[in-house]
Order: sequence, then structure tokens, then C-alpha cells
Amino acid sequence: MARNITMIEAITEAMAQEMERDDRVFVMGEDIGLSGGVFKATAGLYEKFGEERVLDTPLAEGNIIASAIGASMVGLRPIAEIQFADFITPAMESLVQQASKIRYRSAGGYGCSLTVRICCGGGTGGGLYHSQENASWFVHEPGLKVVMPSTAYDAKGLLLAAIRDPNPVLYFEHKKLYRTAKGDVPDGDYTVPIGKAEIRRQGRDMTIVTYGYMTGLCLEAAEQITKNGVDAEVIDLRTLSPLDKDTVLESVRKTSKCLVVHEDKRTLGIGGEISAIIAEEAFDDLDGPIIRITGPDIPAIPFAPPLEHAWMVNTEKIVAGMEKLAAY
Amino acid sequence: MASKSGRAVAELETEKSDNGRKNGNGRELMLGLYKMLVKCRMCDEKARILFRQGKYAGNFYSGVGQEAAEVGAAYSLREDDWIAPSHRDWTSNIIKGAPLNLCFAQLFGKATSPDRGKSTPAHMGYPPIHTITPASSIAGQLAVGTGVAFGLKKLGRDTVVVSFFGDGATSLGGFHEALNFAGVHKLPIIYVCQNNLWAESVPLRLQTALKDLADRAKAYGFPGISLDGNDVMAVYDASTKAIARARAGEGPTFLECKTYRWYGHSEIDPAKYRMKEEVEAWKKRDPLVLFEKVLRDKKLLTDESKDKIAKETTQEINEAVEFAEQSPYPDASELADHIWAQE
Ligand SMILES: Cc1ncc(C[n+]2csc(CCOP(=O)(O)OP(=O)(O)O)c2C)c(N)n1
Ligand SMILES: [Mg+2]
Repeated sequence: MARNITMIEAITEAMAQEMERDDRVFVMGEDIGLSGGVFKATAGLYEKFGEERVLDTPLAEGNIIASAIGASMVGLRPIAEIQFADFITPAMESLVQQASKIRYRSAGGYGCSLTVRICCGGGTGGGLYHSQENASWFVHEPGLKVVMPSTAYDAKGLLLAAIRDPNPVLYFEHKKLYRTAKGDVPDGDYTVPIGKAEIRRQGRDMTIVTYGYMTGLCLEAAEQITKNGVDAEVIDLRTLSPLDKDTVLESVRKTSKCLVVHEDKRTLGIGGEISAIIAEEAFDDLDGPIIRITGPDIPAIPFAPPLEHAWMVNTEKIVAGMEKLAAY
Repeated sequence: MASKSGRAVAELETEKSDNGRKNGNGRELMLGLYKMLVKCRMCDEKARILFRQGKYAGNFYSGVGQEAAEVGAAYSLREDDWIAPSHRDWTSNIIKGAPLNLCFAQLFGKATSPDRGKSTPAHMGYPPIHTITPASSIAGQLAVGTGVAFGLKKLGRDTVVVSFFGDGATSLGGFHEALNFAGVHKLPIIYVCQNNLWAESVPLRLQTALKDLADRAKAYGFPGISLDGNDVMAVYDASTKAIARARAGEGPTFLECKTYRWYGHSEIDPAKYRMKEEVEAWKKRDPLVLFEKVLRDKKLLTDESKDKIAKETTQEINEAVEFAEQSPYPDASELADHIWAQE
């Protein structure tokens, strides 16, 4: 049966159900135990499963990931939480030297099946160090899967898929969606396939490629621009690595125009990669330049409200990009 | 020597603090410490009220309950000394002499704040007085502060660094790397760990198997001392000794100040994970009340003088809040400023 619940409730439910179903699954991280996490994503798990399976770790992200990797090497299924994507940096060694390469360097002799839940994203007044997305850092690392849901339904299905995936999966959660993304979520078991994008709105005139929190803004922008007679298709990538090229290319071949929208910084972001893929594989189908609407190349999102507002991608900026593209 | 007149006497005594106190000349110093404790307490409580009133967004990390550690450790620093603060050390700027106007402008993220609204409310630094604008990543400043001590030593200065951090910070790799390096090179730095028993909701038993965090210093080859972090004179004495040691080129000291934060980790944390009894027991050991008693016993403080201090501080704070509220926000056109050095 489907209920109308929030993204954060869907995330909690996915963990609880999988821990119930599979006793190899456990969660670890900072403040995830008795307090239920900074955003309450693990609320109730400590009471239900106890300290052995819901472990508050010392303040050391590198060790959170390294010990989860090790535990998965003996067959366990850890879900590690990184409280803020901003603070994933001490875990860089564990993620990019260990998690992404252990299978490759041992010719498949070892591997790690681990889920890292990472709270990310700006627009909540969090300032420089509680707003970063940082997902694209990891897209550059083959061996790591990277996903980010935009709906409550996908949040549960992608998380269950991540936990069951035999590879390391970085599961990014946008904090602005936790309580605003609400929708029908089945109470039973289901997965959303990793590596598969979803078309959220069908359209003829241009393709908008996006993911996460930006998906809702793009859908709003697509509605607004109908008044100019533009009918836009909106693709929610859902998985950033491995990218679902086919869905993107097929749509661009149909619409002949593409706008890529992401919150993360511009240079070497997902937008650059998608633009290159389209340029290489669908050049003949294009009727205009590929346009990117992204966060700026500015170190992080500043605190002062006018600065944060200027930094963030919003519906107006997306509509402006669409108008520019529509002119071709 | 500090330029602020109010501090001059205390600082004079600071340099010979031990002698001064033994000779009974520490009255000015003790009153100065008391006034600073009151100032930090009142500013912090005001910061909390302002947040609750919705005057600024983001968050604030109150240090109420921990003032003796903060004031005791930083009070005797010279103007050219450095502080590497963390999230709970907004008041270390006040102790080091930052104008209150700037401290409150920082909370509000206004264009008049030292960082022009870039960083977050509690993460304050002020370059003219050498407090390092902190990143939020725990143990980051402690490591960079160690680098500052390294540089100062290379320059042959007798300047020191005080680094503030919590019990949780001692679990990070960066903490160990920094202290190891400081030990090897006998760097002029004082590591002031405010062990408040909790790192957000994580209790000390899940942070470390040690009873005393000061024991960590053994591994790096320099002294580690556990202190009553609510006794401002105890912290002051240990700090001045550690500072003198650092100035003399004898290397770092680790001071573990055992203390307690009265409120939640931040203003959005109801701290339900703690036992009421624990909080109440620590509130009975209020560092201000403890020190007030010492001062009253020595006839250094009366009801009237206490009142006067509170009134003066309130007025100073009100003016600073007014300044911060009147200040403009930075203009959006400043967004890309300060990414690169100005040619
Ligand atoms: C690297 C990193 N991980 C996580 C956080 C989130 N965080 C902020 S403060 C804190 C707890 C700090 O505890 P402690 O060091 O004891 O200092 P206290 O807050 O008690 O003063 C955590 C986990 C962070 N800021 N940086
Ligand atoms: Mg602590």
C-alpha cells in the first residue's frame, strides 16, 4: 500500500526494512544513534535495533568509511552516514584510494558493498560549510556509484538498491528535499534501478537534464515557459555515475536542444560531462548550443542572505536559460 | 602590549603573573578575568536570544558553561599572539580584543563583519588580532594553527598560538598529524581541549577509551595536563606557564579543560540525549559563580560593583547589536570577491 510520506521518512523506512530483512545490514556515523541524526534520518533505529547495529562513531569520517569498507569485506552490509557533504573530506582517502579501487587492485579478489548516505545541498542558510553538494568529486572516480533522489518514491527505492548493490554507492540526500519532497511511497519492498534516469515531463522543444533538488525547479520552469509556447522535456538523472547516456541522447535527438541544470559548481561539473557526451554523440541533431545553468565557480555558498541568493540556481535563472535556448 | 586601555594593567601583570599573584598584586588581574567572564557569558546569551528572535539564520554554538576555559586560556595572550578557534569559540575573538560591533555584525552576516558575511555566524576570525577565521570542518583550524606556530618559529619570533577545540576533535586524523608535528619541532602552540563530555550527541565513552584526554599528549612527547576547566584561575595559571614554555622555545603543551556546555550542541539541538541530572550538576559548578565567590571572599567584588559591571556590559552589548542591526547586508555584487589575491 502506498502512503503519502516525506523523503526523510522514506529514507528511514528503507533502512529499517532492510535491517529487518537482512541482519548483515547496520548503520554507523556521527550522531545517528540515540539522537537519530542531525536531520532525524535514523530516528527510531537505535531503539529498534540497539547500539550494536546503530553505532555512534567517534568524530572521524575517514575511519567511518574505512571501517565500513573493512566490515563489508567480511560480508557485512554497512550503511555509513556522512553528516554533511562538506565534511566528507577526511574520508577522501578511504573513498577514492580504498572503496573505488579495492576491487580493481585485487583483480576482483576483494570488493566492497557499502552505502554512504551523504546529506548535501544549499539554500537553507547553512553558509560555506553546511551547503556544499560535492557529488561531482566522486563522479570522477570509476568504481564508485553516485546517486541522488528527487522524490520520496525514488529515495526509498534507490536506497534499497544501493544497500543491495555489490559496489560502493554514494547516496546523496538534498537537505531541502527532506521534508518538502512528499509523495506516494509503497510500504513494501521495491527498488529503483541504479544507472537509470527518469523522464519527469515529456516535451518536444528542448531537453532539460537535471537531478536532485533542481528537478522540482526545472519542472516549475518548464510550466512557466509554456506561456512562450515552449514545451520542454525534463530528465531527472537520479544516478550521476554511471550516467544513463541513452535516455539523455534519445531525448536530445528528439528535441534538438539541451539545457543542463545543476546546483553544484560549474567547472568540471556534471553539466560539462553531459555537454561533451551530447557534442560527441548527437552533434548532428543539435539546433542550438548546449547551455548550462549551474552554481557559480565560487568556493562555496556564503552565509549572508543576498550572497546565498545570488549563488543559488533558481527558477528565474532556469527560465532565462530556456528562453535563450528557445531563441535558436 | 595591548592597545586597549582597559586591558593594559592586566596584561602588564600577565607577563609576571605568577609573581604578581604570589605577591598579592593580582587584584586587577582577577577583576579583569571576572569582567571578561561576564562579558563572554552575556554576549553568548545575547547571541542565543537574537537567534531565537529570528534576527539571523544559520546557527549558533553556545559556549555558556565553558567560559573559564576560554577566558583562562586566552586572557594573557599578547596582541601579536594567535588564536585558532573552532565553532564554539566565537567569544575567543572578544577575549583577544575584537570590537563587539564586529562580533555581532558577524552573527548577522552583515557587510561590516570581518568576513563581509561570507562565513557563518559563529565561525569568526579577525585578522588584525590574529584570530583565524575558522572552517567548520572540525580539527581543521587546529592543524592550520599548528602551521602558524611552525611559521612563527621559523621567523624566530617569540609569538605563540592558542588552539581551541573539543573532545570530539581529538578523534580526527588531522589532530594526530598536527600534534605529532608540533612535538617533533617543539612548536610554540598551546592545545586547549575543552572536554565538555559530548561531541554533539556522542558521549565521551564512544569517542575515546581514555579517562583523561591529556594522556594523548604522551604519544607526541610533550606535557598534557588535565584541569578543572570551570576554575578560571586554574586554567589561567596552567596557560600562562604553557605560554611561557612555548615562548621560550620549549614546545607545545596540551591542556585538557574538563567542562560542560549548558545548552544544546547548537541552537537547533534540544539535547534530549543528556540526563537532566548531569546538566543540573554542572550548572551548580557555574564558572562565573565559582569565581564570584573567590572574589567576594577576597573582598574584590560587592553587590554594587557586580551590578555596575553587568550594566556597563549590557550597554556595550546593546550598542553592538544596534550597530549590527543597522549595518547593511553585503551586496550580491560582492559574491565573487576574495576568491583570488588582489593583483
Ligand atoms: C569534519 C567534521 N565532521 C563533522 C562535523 C559536524 N560537527 C560539528 S561540531 C561536531 C561535534 C564536535 O564535538 P567536540 O569536538 O567535542 O566540540 P564541542 O561541540 O563539544 O565543543 C560535529 C560532529 C564537522 N563540523 N566537521
Ligand atoms: Mg565536546
